[in-house]
Amino acid sequence: MSIEPITGRYLTVTVEGAPRRIYFEEAGQGRPVLCLHTAGADTRQWRHLMNDAEVTAAHRLIAFDMPWHGKSLPPEGFETQEYLLTTDAYIETVLAVIDGLGLDRPILAGCSMGGRIALQLAALHPGKFSGFIAIEASDFQPAWYDIDWFHRPDAHGGEMGAALVSANISPHAPDVERWNTLWMFMQSGPGVFRGDLSFYTRDDSLIPRLSSIDTAKTPVHIIVGAYDLTCTPEDAARTARAIPGATLAVMDELGHFPMSEHPAGFRPFFVDALERMPQQVPAPV
Amino acid sequence: MIDTFRHIQHQLDETPHLLRLGRLFSETVLIEVDGAEFYLTFEKGHIVSVVEGPSRKTPWRFALRTDAEALAKFWRPRPAPGFHDIFGLVKIGRGRVDGDILSLVKNLRFFKEVLSLARATTEPTA
Repeated sequence: MSIEPITGRYLTVTVEGAPRRIYFEEAGQGRPVLCLHTAGADTRQWRHLMNDAEVTAAHRLIAFDMPWHGKSLPPEGFETQEYLLTTDAYIETVLAVIDGLGLDRPILAGCSMGGRIALQLAALHPGKFSGFIAIEASDFQPAWYDIDWFHRPDAHGGEMGAALVSANISPHAPDVERWNTLWMFMQSGPGVFRGDLSFYTRDDSLIPRLSSIDTAKTPVHIIVGAYDLTCTPEDAARTARAIPGATLAVMDELGHFPMSEHPAGFRPFFVDALERMPQQVPAPV
Repeated sequence: MIDTFRHIQHQLDETPHLLRLGRLFSETVLIEVDGAEFYLTFEKGHIVSVVEGPSRKTPWRFALRTDAEALAKFWRPRPAPGFHDIFGLVKIGRGRVDGDILSLVKNLRFFKEVLSLARATTEPTA
């Protein structure tokens, strides 16, 4: 028997003028690191790092389920709403969680759409953070699929979504973690993956903002897996070049969900990324 | 190449979880390899026939068009990036998917795992 050190609680914040009951998990003590999950998934993607005693010895890892995801409920009245994530709502949610939890300029680590919003926050709200680890993150990715496939009455969106994103998982990933990663997509609520992809594949507002990111104040480190078909190493490299001072690491044997699909393979890249971040919270500007 | 598809046909009959996943799948799929046509007809998850073309009389639901070298790389135990998935082949310009794509997507896990039944478990010796 074993009991993991991860603890989970709920936080209610206001987003878009209405309450959101948000589930968050944390483990460890030290520099806060706020971790953002990918589209169509939830905080479970981060559980391996949260259970890593060496990582949590000096870092407080916090992850939360975005509204509509995991154990965070959708807002009241969702039954008549079409879920379409926007950059503004995503930014407001992340900032509300930081304020609600009283985090002092955490490192922000986000994957996929979480990496995209990390770069948006690096451009628009750098003073709220001490650094950015953007995983499988790029400036913009138009869809190479039809996002409407994933929300229709005659088929299971979760199963189709999982089958599609399996294309982004490395064959080097252990089978058990490949399937644990896909299970989250299979469990995703109706229309949620589609609504996340709407943000991810249609909003290109980050592109002109990249050059304004000041990595001297808040470093940006981008990590990308060679087996990621959605955000390829070329996409990540293009994005890194557009951010003065950004650094890039390519993981030859990983895909789009590295912390979840192949925890052992991802660990050294994440530890390296943490070492590139400010070792102490900088003084207020 | 047709021997490989017949191998997949036999392997599928020995793979209960795929027969369960494909139990509603009764369609003909065209696999085109370097221009050569292979028609795989599924009936309730089983492949009931593998027929080599060319044929202009065989209706098919969707098609995967690729080349033999790409498929050989796809069937390696740990394919290189891009060769690890049919949509990877599409992304790197070594494959094309035509026809009723929604039918493919509805049965995507099933079809991808069926095609992967020819994947080697160990690297061939030189």
